[in-house]
Amino acid sequence: MRRLLYFTADDHFLYSASGGRLELEAKFSGDDLGVSAFRDYLRGRRGALFSVIADLAGEDFHEEQVPFLRGADREAIVQRRLAQRYRDTRLAAALSLGSVMTPQRRNERLLLASFTNTQQFAPWLDALEEADTRLAGVYSVPLLAPALAARLGARGPRTLLVTANRAGLRQCFVEGGRLRFARLERTVEMTPQALAAFVRSETLRLAQYLATLRVLPRDGSPLPALVVAPPGERAVFEQALGSSDARVVFQTVDHARARSAVRLRHAPEGTAGEALYLQLAARKAPREQFASSGDRRRFQVWRLQRGLVAAGLSGLAACVVFAGARWLETAQLNANAAEQRLEAARATERYQRITATFPVTETTTENLRATVLEFRRIAEASPQPESAFAHISRVLEQFPQMELDAIHWRVGRSEKREADTLDGLEVVLSGRVSATQRSDYRGLTAQVQRFAGALASGGYQLVGTQLPFDITSAGTLTGDIGGRDTGEAPRFTITLGRKLP
Amino acid sequence: MNFTREDLAKLAAPLVLALALIGAGLAIVWSANDARAKALTRLAEAQAERRQASQRLARIAEEEREVHEKLDVYKQLKRLHILGEEQRLEWADAISRIRRERELLDLSYRVDRQKLAKSVPGKPANVDFFASLMRVQLDLLHEEDLLRFLADLRASGNAYYAVKSCSLTRTGQAASGTNMTPRLRAVCEIELITVIDKAAKR
Repeated sequence: MRRLLYFTADDHFLYSASGGRLELEAKFSGDDLGVSAFRDYLRGRRGALFSVIADLAGEDFHEEQVPFLRGADREAIVQRRLAQRYRDTRLAAALSLGSVMTPQRRNERLLLASFTNTQQFAPWLDALEEADTRLAGVYSVPLLAPALAARLGARGPRTLLVTANRAGLRQCFVEGGRLRFARLERTVEMTPQALAAFVRSETLRLAQYLATLRVLPRDGSPLPALVVAPPGERAVFEQALGSSDARVVFQTVDHARARSAVRLRHAPEGTAGEALYLQLAARKAPREQFASSGDRRRFQVWRLQRGLVAAGLSGLAACVVFAGARWLETAQLNANAAEQRLEAARATERYQRITATFPVTETTTENLRATVLEFRRIAEASPQPESAFAHISRVLEQFPQMELDAIHWRVGRSEKREADTLDGLEVVLSGRVSATQRSDYRGLTAQVQRFAGALASGGYQLVGTQLPFDITSAGTLTGDIGGRDTGEAPRFTITLGRKLP
Repeated sequence: MNFTREDLAKLAAPLVLALALIGAGLAIVWSANDARAKALTRLAEAQAERRQASQRLARIAEEEREVHEKLDVYKQLKRLHILGEEQRLEWADAISRIRRERELLDLSYRVDRQKLAKSVPGKPANVDFFASLMRVQLDLLHEEDLLRFLADLRASGNAYYAVKSCSLTRTGQAASGTNMTPRLRAVCEIELITVIDKAAKR
């Protein structure tokens, strides 16, 4: 909830604003008694949030141009210009009207604004300070006028906004969405017709004044004036303002519609056009205001505190949203996993149901397979010697002159013959050649080679042959020509190999 | 606006609260990410489990045929006592019986210590193949005696007989009229293989 001190030349009204509702909490006279009552009111309201909205006739507006600057330089030059213009800068503001190009440089147009009598605020601001309240800002009704004009649908580049406030008839000239000039003309109790006529005459006077100041363009186009009629007086105002004028085009806005435009749902009895400005100050106050940073320190700290907590909450909310999305994804993944597991369980159950019909085994299927496969592998790698002996026997029948002394059959390679034998089976035959003269080298060699050739069949390969006479270039050839025949038959060795499956 | 020490003190609590809120948010995010990573792992495991179960189910017909076929071999191994503990006494009896029946002249043998030849992974337990190396020496009248000895040995069962080597040599002894003189000598190395299936029902 925000409290709004509506500051007029006579009395000051304290409203509370919350949820589109304005409630009048207290009324104070503008003298010392009022200040005392205000101090009493503030007792026990430490930390309350206040805004001051001034609706006074003595408000000065002065346009200046300063070099186009930013940051601390701009702030310094603005403060200097304010100090040059006003004796008391405690309540002074500089409103930017945009930039302008001069032949020399780019300048910024400023509207310097303050009150002619700032001292009337001092005891009230001091009371707020002493009560340890938070001052959001000191606004004047004209500072809020551009926002109200926008809410009321002002379209053109220039608009004159006219409202009948408790303080008097308020006229604000808004150009390009920015305040250019404002005045307050005090009013007395009068009939609606008289008030409407007064509005018309004062508006035309102001238009004439602005034209004299050359604020209005010289093209002769009329100035649109938005007039918010007091409650129930729109018809009277339309009748009084309806007749066209070359300088001003009046547009009357119903008070109820204006309240709706600023989302004001309730205002206390007796509140006039100022309720619209108060609502805007409560809901969305403009950046420009009059209070110094010293007066607003508690509010700034409070706003930073709220900003920090809001940032923390925003961070938490963002994390929660992100985590929520992740949790949803996780839930989906878990559901998928559960479905997959269920399907696996179904398949396993079906498998077990089918395997239950298999023949009864004395072991598990896996071990049955492992036992038989490994046993077969061993059996295939373990040939029996019978077939080799049978093969040798068949070949020997064709070579009766060959006599075998030894047969060495083995699985694998012998250590002596690693390089030139095959992995598998090895058969080494040692024997003699009979019925041939020892001196017949060629005949003996040919017979052994034929015998070896015959053995290298039926899957057997000839790995090596050691002839009675080494006729290879790598060996040593010996002979004893003319010597005595010993009668010993020439010996040979044949090595066969066979690959195992 | 310049902040005083008092202002900064007022901002400390909200700052701590904001940091705590953001920290809590990050913890929630971390927790959610962790849960998601675990869910992904669980899903991958479940998918693999389902794929495996489906593939096993698809292979069931082939498996049934395989069981039928392998079961015959398995039963035969059991009947021949190749499956089971070593039967060393049975081996000795069998060799004595063969020598007697085949009227072999001289036969000596030695069986070494049993060794683990191979352990095949199974479910729920491994299948172990053991081998005991036997060296046998025979005096023969004819080479056919060796072949008969080996055939009889195989027929006796109690192990799978894998012949690793066999050497057949002439003794060089001349035949005498009174005693039967061995003309050949055979020396063989034979692995006696037995299988222990740890999952087999006793």
